[in-house]
Amino acid sequence: MTATKSLRAGGRVQAAIPIVLLIGLVILIGVLQPSFLTADTLLVVMADTATLFILAAGITFVVMLGGIDLSIQAVASLSSVLVAIWLGRIGYWAFPATLLVGFITGAFSGVVHVRLRIPSFIVTLATSGLVAAAALLLSQERSITIGEAGRAYLSWITGRPFGVPSVIFIGALVACAGIWLQCYTPFGRYSAAIGAGEAATWASGVKVNRQKVIAYSLSAGLAALAGILLTGRLSSGSPTLANELLLPAIAAVVVGGTSITGGAGGIGRTVIGALIISVVRVGMTFVGVDIFAQQIVFGAVLILAVAITIDRTKILIVK
Amino acid sequence: MLAVEHVSKAFAGVQALDDVNVEIGANEVVGLVGENGAGKSTLMRILAGVYSPDRGSLKLDGAQVLLKSPREANLNGIGIVFQEQSLLLNLTVGENIYLGQEAEFTRLGLVNRRRMNAAARRQLAKVEVDIDPDTRTSELSFAARQMVELAKALALEERTEKHLIILLDEPTSVLEQRDIEILFARVRALKRRASFVFVSHRLDEILALSDRIYVMKDGRVVGHMEAGSTTVPQLHQMMVGRDRHAEYYRESRQGPPREEIVMEARDLSVTGAYRKVDFVLHRGEVLGIAGVVGSGREELTRTLFGFVPQSSGTLLIDGHEVRLTVPSQAADHGVGYIPRERRTEGLVLSLPLAVNVTLSKLPTSRITGAIRLSREIQLAKSWVDKLHIRTPGVEALCLNLSGGNQQKVVLAKWMNARAHILILDHPTRGLDVGAKEEVYELIRDLSEEGVSIILTADTLEETIGLCHSILVMRDGKVTARFDASPGRKPSQVDLIQHMV
Repeated sequence: MTATKSLRAGGRVQAAIPIVLLIGLVILIGVLQPSFLTADTLLVVMADTATLFILAAGITFVVMLGGIDLSIQAVASLSSVLVAIWLGRIGYWAFPATLLVGFITGAFSGVVHVRLRIPSFIVTLATSGLVAAAALLLSQERSITIGEAGRAYLSWITGRPFGVPSVIFIGALVACAGIWLQCYTPFGRYSAAIGAGEAATWASGVKVNRQKVIAYSLSAGLAALAGILLTGRLSSGSPTLANELLLPAIAAVVVGGTSITGGAGGIGRTVIGALIISVVRVGMTFVGVDIFAQQIVFGAVLILAVAITIDRTKILIVK
Repeated sequence: MLAVEHVSKAFAGVQALDDVNVEIGANEVVGLVGENGAGKSTLMRILAGVYSPDRGSLKLDGAQVLLKSPREANLNGIGIVFQEQSLLLNLTVGENIYLGQEAEFTRLGLVNRRRMNAAARRQLAKVEVDIDPDTRTSELSFAARQMVELAKALALEERTEKHLIILLDEPTSVLEQRDIEILFARVRALKRRASFVFVSHRLDEILALSDRIYVMKDGRVVGHMEAGSTTVPQLHQMMVGRDRHAEYYRESRQGPPREEIVMEARDLSVTGAYRKVDFVLHRGEVLGIAGVVGSGREELTRTLFGFVPQSSGTLLIDGHEVRLTVPSQAADHGVGYIPRERRTEGLVLSLPLAVNVTLSKLPTSRITGAIRLSREIQLAKSWVDKLHIRTPGVEALCLNLSGGNQQKVVLAKWMNARAHILILDHPTRGLDVGAKEEVYELIRDLSEEGVSIILTADTLEETIGLCHSILVMRDGKVTARFDASPGRKPSQVDLIQHMV
């Protein structure tokens, strides 16, 4: 009985660590650079976080059931190319069409993964190659600037209702929908169960493959959304637009406290994780770390976060 | 020879062993019995050098020894044959026997396989099995692997001056009757070479094999006697501290099954496993399937839940022809499965009890499709009450429950999903006597409520006691069918003659 209680209390402490870390980082940077704590700067940080969070939220669905999706940055880049090309031709329809392409790539990865029983990191790595090549071919290896006519369609991304960048609202919407999916729907419940014990979940009559395909579709679909938002903010699409985002996105998931082996965590934690990564990124810029050197920090943070959060009792041998 | 003196060991405040004294003499088999949690496994692990005692000591031939690792235990002549077999399936038999000991066959960094295999053959000869050391372990049957494991323990002889002590940790739990008898014959023959410590849940086996018996309860030794001077009921009483229920399998509650047929197999076959199996399962009937390993009964039960689809023949559920290719299809037809591997296939151990209870059927809102969380808690609570699951609450993680209570959670899961056909695959495996009786009681309850059950049991006694009718299989074929109504129950001999 006491074991149960202490275990759950331990879980709560672990869940609180990222929040404490986030607050600590914000205060630290605020002390070093008081201008950081102004409403304007904080809004910029949050707006920057939104796209990273949406990418990370997608991966969270996949990581929850014990897989990984390495294709998201390629999918996001392809989406930016597609939106940039389609906006001039089909107007608003470019958005749902691009999202659909995202979902389809995810469904493709998912179906290949479950049907051919290939490990998810191989499948999504291969999908990533396919999608990245498609983006390069379609864009003829150039970035595509969106003309005046196209920009009119982007106001829902670039606008600032009530003085707040609209991407923040979009990010919040994704967070709410994601939390609802994970906490209140059978899909969310089954995903957590698959991550914690796939054999038992399968033998309980749960349609495991279906949940997996849904998760990979959601992951790539959200990557497509992130690609659209990035395109809107930059007013141009590029086949390499999201190329430095995979590592920070996975880091955000893990730093937030979702177990990399699946079964524990969720989108709510990824919100905190993405904010931490953003604050670290902005902090580094304030201190003057080179943008490419920042990947070193994200890599180190990822390894550290996994090392701290992983439950080694569950995995005896690491492959 | 080996003496355990005043040994105590605690884990996180739980006293696993409390002032235990055990002696193991030369060339004898010492039986160790007790319910789950009595401390048998802890004691075995201390002898094997896996744990060190908190207090007390081990004395070998009068001299105190410290066994800080399994390797040190080996060097002192103590070897163990594990319950979960410890052989690596991708290695050959010879490689397994000398795993970690290749140095004696190594020259210039190369292993001389010929010499190693010759040595391995010598070890295998000690247990009188004829296996080529070059065979891949995965190709061997379970029983043969157990023999290899025993040979591996006997290989210690050549590495130590000490007298050999071999710990047998429930070696029979995964073996069928015929293989158990072979194992026992080997152990008896090997007594001149070694002493044995034998742990088993089956008391008749303990009586048959042991010279002396220690009975453990709650971390203490509560009894110690010569095997010849005691009986199963007496051991039972010492283990549980109460009389064995006069009516162990609740036979008086066995009513006749209803007329209605819920499941029917016609010429059901799986290539390489079993062929042309016919049976009929009535509403409320308990149908037992008896057979040794390799008889096809395991594959048959797994076909009925969609793990192994049939290669030919017909399976009908409630009169509809079905072909089950995944468990979810079986579940959709109202079939539930209580697996033998409770901790991997039965439960998601790291999730709460309530989540496990509703895993097969979630209470969802008809309008939004969302899970009704409060309804879920309410359902879980009602199953906890109904099945008397002992738990601090429905939020408790399943890994903190005892084996018996875990099994009840698995049952609750299928009852909650309203499964009307339950496949029980060794439902009492690893449970202590009290928990077993509760499972028997539940099987009767289910049967009365009209749930039909297909049972593959751990022992023939259990099969005969619980079932309405029994199907006996041998080499993939049904060799006999028995009516097992109360008063007309077949004997174990009746069944065995059709099994082997």
